[in-house]
Formats: sequence, C-alpha cells, structure tokens
Amino acid sequence: MQKLSNSAIISIISKLLIILVIAKSLSLALWWYLPSDGIEIKEKYNFQPKYQRVVFTNMIIPEKKVVKEKPKKITDGINITNMILKAIYGTNKKAFVIVSMKSSPKKTEVIGLGEEFKGYKLKSITISSAIFEKNSKDYILLLQESKKSKGSKSISKSYITKVSNHKRATNVTKNSNDLVNVSRKDIAYFAKNPKQIWREISIHEVKDGKKIIGFKIRRIQKNSKFAMLGLKKGDLITMANNIKLESYKDAIDIYNSIDKLDTIQIVVIRNNQEVELVYEIN
Amino acid sequence: MVKKIVKFFAYLSFFILAIIYFTPKVSLYYLAESKMKHFDVVVTSEVLKDNGFSLDIKNGTVMVKSIESAKFEDINIKLFGLYNFISVDNIYLSSTAKSFIPLYIRRINIQYYILNPLNIDMFAIGKFGKAKVVIDLLKRELRVVLTPSKLMKTKYRSSLRNLKKSKNGEFTYAKTF
Repeated sequence: MQKLSNSAIISIISKLLIILVIAKSLSLALWWYLPSDGIEIKEKYNFQPKYQRVVFTNMIIPEKKVVKEKPKKITDGINITNMILKAIYGTNKKAFVIVSMKSSPKKTEVIGLGEEFKGYKLKSITISSAIFEKNSKDYILLLQESKKSKGSKSISKSYITKVSNHKRATNVTKNSNDLVNVSRKDIAYFAKNPKQIWREISIHEVKDGKKIIGFKIRRIQKNSKFAMLGLKKGDLITMANNIKLESYKDAIDIYNSIDKLDTIQIVVIRNNQEVELVYEIN
Repeated sequence: MVKKIVKFFAYLSFFILAIIYFTPKVSLYYLAESKMKHFDVVVTSEVLKDNGFSLDIKNGTVMVKSIESAKFEDINIKLFGLYNFISVDNIYLSSTAKSFIPLYIRRINIQYYILNPLNIDMFAIGKFGKAKVVIDLLKRELRVVLTPSKLMKTKYRSSLRNLKKSKNGEFTYAKTF
C-alpha cells in the first residue's frame, strides 16, 4: 500500500498552498500599512447673502423704455451683403476675422486667412475690412461700425484689434450710475480665446499659509480691456458677488454663472484699502 | 536540472499571480489618491470594485483644485508588472472647457509594458477626433498627435491653432517636463 503523503500531487498542492499563504500574508502586511479610506471633498456652503444691486433712482425716475427694432428677415441665398464683419484680430499672416450672417448675428464664426465661410474664401485683411474671394472675384466686407442707443445704456462696439498696430477700440463705458458696462460679446470672446486673457493680465493666487486669501494682479497691459475695467497692478481680488475667493472653485463658479448675471461686484484690496468695483453686463 | 528550473519558474509565476490577486487594490488606489491630493487632483464619489486581477472604478468625478473637471463612467486598471493597462470609458468634461474642446471622450487607453519600457502609450477617441499620446520617460517629453474630427475642425478652430499642423492633416503638440 502506497503512502498518500508520498504522492507527488500532494507535494505540489502543499507547496502551492504554502505559496498562497505567503502571498496572502504579504498582502495583509501591505494592507495594514495602506490607507483604508479614500479622499472625499466636502461641499463648502456659502451662507453669505447673494449680491444684489438696487438702483433707487429708478424708483423715482422711471427708466426710459428702449424700443428695439425687429431685425428684418433675410430670405435671399448666401450673399456677401448678408454677412457682418464683426471684428479683426492679429497681424499679417496670423490675422483672422469674426463674421456672422445678418439673419443670425449672434452666431459668429472665426475665419483665418485662406479659410472659407459660406463659399467665400478669406483672401486678405486690412485695418477696417476683409477681402473675400469667390469665383475669382473679390468682395470687400467692411467692419461693422459701433452703434449707440439712447439713454445711459450703450450697445458696445466689437472688440477690435487693428491689423497694423494692435491698438484696440474698447467697449468699456460708464453709465450714469457710475457702473462700468461690460459687453457679453467681450465675455464670449475671452471665453473662446483664453490666451488673450493671459496676454493682457496675469493673476496669481495669494496664500496665507495653505489657505488662499485672494488673487493678485501681477501684470496688466496698458489700455487693455482689463485696465479699462479699473483694475490695477497689485490689486488683490478678495471677493466677487459677496463670495470670498478662497479657492479656484470659487472663481470658476462665478465664471460659470456669468451668463446669468447682470452685475458683478468685486472687492479688491488696493494700497491696504478695500475698493469695490461694480460692473454691469449688457 | 532543466526540470528544476522549469519547476522554479512555475512556482515563481504562481507566487506572482497570487500576490497580484491578493494585493489590496482598493487600498493601493486610496494611497494613489492621497498622493494625487498633493497635486490638488481628487477623484470623488466613485464606486470601487476589486476583481482579483483588476480594479474597476465606476462613476467618479475628477476634481482639480476643487473644480469639477470631468466625470467618467468606468475605469479599469490592470497592473501585472510586465504589462500594465488602464482604460477609461465615457468621460464627460466640465462645461468650463466647452469653448476649447468637445466635452465627450469615448475612451482613453493607457498602456505600459516591458517590451517598450521607456515609453508610456496613450490613445484617446471622442468627439474631438483621435489622439495618440506618447510619454518618453528618458527624454521626459510628452508628444500628442491629434487627428481632429469634423466638429473639432469647424467649431474649435481656435483650439487647433495652438497645435502645430502637419502635412497629413494631423496636429501635433510636444512638451517637456
């Protein structure tokens, strides 16, 4: 009779079991030193009241109603006369334009040199016009002129960069309530071209220990959009719409909700004094 | 002698497989998460499942500097030492990025294997098109080759301007770290 303990299979199984025990022991030892919980972010709630701006003068003097003219519908086929040249950016070979159709002026397209828009190829760009080509014929599209409405509110100009010298016309205006008007077009432009923001302004977080206490303007381009907004080099932005800017999230939350806002109030510390800046978004 | 060597390697392979199987992958993931926290990157509200030889992470949200940056449906991690593979499915980027890139990415594959030890290969496909990323560990260089989709070419031209266009219609981006 053969002894079971001498069997080769039992020997292999026992060796494998020993290996399993060693592996499990090692994994348990590793498990002992590893963290047992993950990291979860706690939602930070803001209990401060929402920023609201009340213009008491409106209660005494009723605001004039601005009658908007309905835009005429254009039913013709695509024609250069149906296009609007909204803005020109850049220099020489790197220039591009923003165009839209008159039928949907809000739906803009960015066209670079050599690119086509509705069958028209962008051939060249001058300071105030863009030259398109179609069927070997040249078409000149002039830059849309700024319009101003009656009363304190203003319809802002397009954000224009002259091809030759980079100087821009600006659309920051002050209304009768000393509010600075900001155009939604500009906000949309900067949202599409974030590089332009960092060309004009440089902002860095300022920490007190590990906690962010605000965002400091380290550089601001002269005559830039941001300079026109009244911001200055060295300003420490601490609050926006009554929300303390203590994280990037706080700043991004404001940015994400900008479409729904009509006014933005920011608090900056300038020369050790708190300064409140209020902007109206039109 | 040969029989003994074969036996040794067979037992060694079994030991390695046992180690991979018993390794507390969820705890290792928590360790990786705590390391990522130093770079202000946190994955939150995810569901973890240890499948023995792989780890599944489902329905997580990626927060960068406390800002919600992306959501994903599934991450599958297979780490075998000689061959390591991570796949991420159905990624939805935060609306903050909507001006730069289409927000839906169908899949990202990341692989690192012993036959190509100096490079980490990545491949991504989504509404933006296809992207191939190679991280050269020796040169410390990241190289992206993007084949943009029609949507990317028409609606996100300003983003493509930041990349270098090659003759075959691809866009490249390189960065050292």
